Amino acid sequence: MPNKEDTLFQNYFSSYKAYDEFLKTDMSINTNWKKLLNKFSEIGYSNLQAKQNEVNWLMEENGVTYNVYNDPNGMHRSWNLNVVPFLIHENEWESTIEKGLIQRAELLNLVLKDIYGKRELIKNGILPQEVVFAHRGFLRQCDQIQYKATKTLQIYSADLARGPDGRMWVVSDRTQAPSGMGYALENRYALNNVVPDIFENINVKQPLGFFNDLKQMLIDSAPQNKDNPNIVVLTPGPHNETYFEHTYLASFLGYPLVMGSDLVVRNGKLWLKTLKKLKQVDVILRRVDDAFMDPLELREDSYLGVAGLLEVVREQQVAIVNPIGSGILENSGLVPFMNAICKYYFKEDLILPQIASWWCGQKKECDYVLSHLKDLVVKRIDRSNREKIFFCEFLDEAALKKLKHEILLAPYQFVAQEKISFSTAPNFVDESLEPRKVSCRTFAIAKKDSYSIMSGGLVRVAADREKLFVSNQRGGISKDFWVVSEQTQDPLQNYAWDASTNNGVADINDLSSNTAENLYWSGRYLGRSLVTARYLRVVLNRMNQEQFNSNKTNKESLHILYQSITNITSTFPGFIGKGSEELFKNPLQEIISLILDTDRVGSLAQTMNSFNNSYYSLRSLWSKDMWRVFDGIKKQWKTFKKAEDFSIAKLTKFLDRIITRLIAFMALIEESILVNQGLLLYFIGLQTEQATMQVEKCRALLVVNYEKQVQYEILEAFLNSSESLNIYRYSYRSYLSVENVIKLVLLDKEYAKSLTYQIKRIEKDVNRLPYSVGEDTVATCKEKIHKAYEMINSLHVEALSGLNENETLRQNLDDALAEISDLLHQTAMEVSNTYFNHSYTQKQLTNQNFPTL
Amino acid sequence: MLYQVSHTTSYKYQYGVTFCHNIATIKPKNMLGQTVVDYKLEISPTPTEFSEKLDFFGNTVTRFSIQEHHKTLKVTALSKILRDSSLAPNIYESEMGQQINLIDALAVLKTEKLHIIDVRQFMLESILIANISSEIRAYAEESFKPNRSIFEATYELMERIFNDFEFNPNVTNVATPIHEVITNKKGVCQDFAQIAIACIRSVGLPARYVSGYIETLPPPGKEKLVGTDASHAWFSIYIPTFGWVDFDPTNNQIPKDQHIIVAYGRDYYDVPPLKGVIYSSGENKMKVAVDIRPAV
Repeated sequence: MPNKEDTLFQNYFSSYKAYDEFLKTDMSINTNWKKLLNKFSEIGYSNLQAKQNEVNWLMEENGVTYNVYNDPNGMHRSWNLNVVPFLIHENEWESTIEKGLIQRAELLNLVLKDIYGKRELIKNGILPQEVVFAHRGFLRQCDQIQYKATKTLQIYSADLARGPDGRMWVVSDRTQAPSGMGYALENRYALNNVVPDIFENINVKQPLGFFNDLKQMLIDSAPQNKDNPNIVVLTPGPHNETYFEHTYLASFLGYPLVMGSDLVVRNGKLWLKTLKKLKQVDVILRRVDDAFMDPLELREDSYLGVAGLLEVVREQQVAIVNPIGSGILENSGLVPFMNAICKYYFKEDLILPQIASWWCGQKKECDYVLSHLKDLVVKRIDRSNREKIFFCEFLDEAALKKLKHEILLAPYQFVAQEKISFSTAPNFVDESLEPRKVSCRTFAIAKKDSYSIMSGGLVRVAADREKLFVSNQRGGISKDFWVVSEQTQDPLQNYAWDASTNNGVADINDLSSNTAENLYWSGRYLGRSLVTARYLRVVLNRMNQEQFNSNKTNKESLHILYQSITNITSTFPGFIGKGSEELFKNPLQEIISLILDTDRVGSLAQTMNSFNNSYYSLRSLWSKDMWRVFDGIKKQWKTFKKAEDFSIAKLTKFLDRIITRLIAFMALIEESILVNQGLLLYFIGLQTEQATMQVEKCRALLVVNYEKQVQYEILEAFLNSSESLNIYRYSYRSYLSVENVIKLVLLDKEYAKSLTYQIKRIEKDVNRLPYSVGEDTVATCKEKIHKAYEMINSLHVEALSGLNENETLRQNLDDALAEISDLLHQTAMEVSNTYFNHSYTQKQLTNQNFPTL
Repeated sequence: MLYQVSHTTSYKYQYGVTFCHNIATIKPKNMLGQTVVDYKLEISPTPTEFSEKLDFFGNTVTRFSIQEHHKTLKVTALSKILRDSSLAPNIYESEMGQQINLIDALAVLKTEKLHIIDVRQFMLESILIANISSEIRAYAEESFKPNRSIFEATYELMERIFNDFEFNPNVTNVATPIHEVITNKKGVCQDFAQIAIACIRSVGLPARYVSGYIETLPPPGKEKLVGTDASHAWFSIYIPTFGWVDFDPTNNQIPKDQHIIVAYGRDYYDVPPLKGVIYSSGENKMKVAVDIRPAV
């Protein structure tokens, strides 16, 4: 072997402990891996590190993430893809794995039909009834439901790992809403993109045919044999661990991504709430678990599903893939009986071996388990998550005793499995290769009278060298999974995840009201962030000047500006209410809090955080450039928060950076999203927020009559805060006067930042919203904004700038602004009530607070 | 005995409801010893959708939805029931049934006969009767002994619950866990039924929940007031070699003609008389009125 290889592998041999994919027991290299190894040698380890960095960068750029529940830093964690793929030769793949997966999918399909049908397996003594009846996933509500599709189990996924005998074993079955196919696809594209050279002369099977089968299966499942059924992807939402994949698949397949609150059951059918009307849904590809799908019949506390959905399924008016209830197959209690079931149906043995398992519901098996507990892995039949698995070799006496007691109380709920050491494969870590445990998730899709198997799948790698277990929940590493062939394969067709390929929504009428609402709020939060940041920046500038030139008027105007901050950001008491004397002693402290305190309503940090949430909910709409800019904002924020001293200069600089990026981001929104995709809603939100804040600013700064020099300083700050000073100078070429400022920022019909212009713009956009006959609320929101527009058009500068009797206030101005503010608020409320679906919340008729299923 | 039963549930919504989906398990059963002569379900406002189906346990389940804005919902089930419990098998006529002890009963339950397999689901934990505590088991074992007749033991269990527990409608609700009830020894019929079921399952025997009505009799010489009755619940135990036998721990008796059966389930969760999902923003108030009287 050449020297380079030696360095790459220098630790590999010493780390090598158990069965390895790459090294044979006699320390020679598995021939299937040889070509790949040679490529690595050609690339060299330092180049390989560069490639790995590039993969990491690409994953981050593309926003490929994985959320980790119950971890404050776990949201949107970057997906880890190792540059070294995992490979299997097609001989092994086709002769056993593919056949074995098809056999197991067929078998589980029959088991599923039987469990919710005749239950012959139980009646004939093949399967103990407790394995089904004591499993939480057995939903009696789904009993005897008939489906149109030939296969009831439409998607099947199995985790495989190579056992000590060198064969691939089935470790677990995933049947409700298996995750991973999207990540598998993205892994392939990423590797193909970054290291195309390693694919050269290696024939890797491509998975695109499988995704066509997935699409065809979804179309065929539509209950009414429609040519062009309406298909949606149902997600639990942005907090779900695999939310990235939901948006990715929806975008790749071209179906709308929806949440439970987007859907409604009426007249025995399922509908998608769109801006214009209800649109019938024929097929749901779901990523929500069984129990959460229908709060009427299943878990009462679920907000992820649709009330009444099960009855629509019973009446065959909608198909759900996989059907509700299929979680019963995620059942380790089935394992000991699978071979007998296989013999019962097919008169043959299982092709893929399983881990030896003992169901404690049988006396003999239970006795064996209790006397060998220390050597076994114990789980409940219906809890497959890692937290609920007992690795008995690591338990102390007290814990073992407790477990024994639990088993004896309800033995039928427990299964024990032999502990197995699965194979390792090379993983690139710190410039060298290291053996790590791997687990392969494979996928099957119902296709006519058989199943189509994805060539490859998703390989997950244990988080560190000593770890026995492999799990994404902990944020592990993944690998591209190659099935290599002797024959030349078609190259990977070009598809990259990008907003431009998103054809899910073609018409604003079909925009789901949930998406519409998120766009609207994106507009509002961005508008608020920008106005707030600019305003705080102006005040900081003034504070800076005051340090060098502190005279009486300067002090007075600054005092007024501080108070205006509280008004504009609505962060009372602040500089106005109780305790303000204290704040005036150290105003910077309050301003820092208004910038950085995420828990403070009205602060810049809090507004940006709110935007963050809408942003992730909409991720399938954003382009890559937007990701990049947004990521930049987040990074700025992170770095800045760590700083120890927040001087005026530093804060100003920070706000400069944030403002520039916000503006870039807003410009990108306008060029990346079509009006019909919902940009209209974004604009309405943005303009509404900006207009509302403009009104607040005018009320805070223009209403009170100040002495001349103070007035001047305030007007200057006011114009600066909306970057309008240059325009003012260009338009009026004069000393700053209240009259001219009112003319420019309130009444000018052409200037984009004037209130008149903004209100006109809102009216124009509100008038473009879809209008359904018979909905009088639509008319109301149009009426309100029209009234605001008429109001502002009727205003004259003379009347507005007139003073009250004792010459302290411009009362007319304040009254007019108050009325406009009310009208803007009412318009916003009406838009929300008419187009968004949260005006009424889902509730139980009787609040039952039952324990969870 | 021919009864006329009326069961009305009404809801008042503070701000109204835009629409709702509901499920009612409210229609009395047709079975040996109980015939539904007449049955009518009145719902106001009139539902847009309405269906009647059998559920997993063989109960009639009514699903309906109302799609117009409404401020009150009223569901009234009116039925005429002919009750003659003497037609059903009587445990007092079965020597075997009265005598079978715990050891023998458990042995029969291990056999793989079809009807036994079917009954075994009522030995398992259910949603409201899960993680049965050692306290409950200890309470059960005072009555259930290996060599004692399980009929006798169940009868005694019923008597003990009747004597040890205080009927008090103000301490529990439908979600109060059985472990609280066994400690406080207070509750309503549904709590008592579930405690009994938990006890029976803790010794390895099958028990199920029965929801229905009971005719209450006015004090001698007084006329019965309308609406004084309520939905009722009791339990049933499966006695191998005989079959299901009902017991009412709230009234300390084996139900006969005064008990009308609506539904069977593993516990209350399987058979709530009325549940639903509503879309509204305010509070709501519920009222239930049941009236049972001999039909004229």
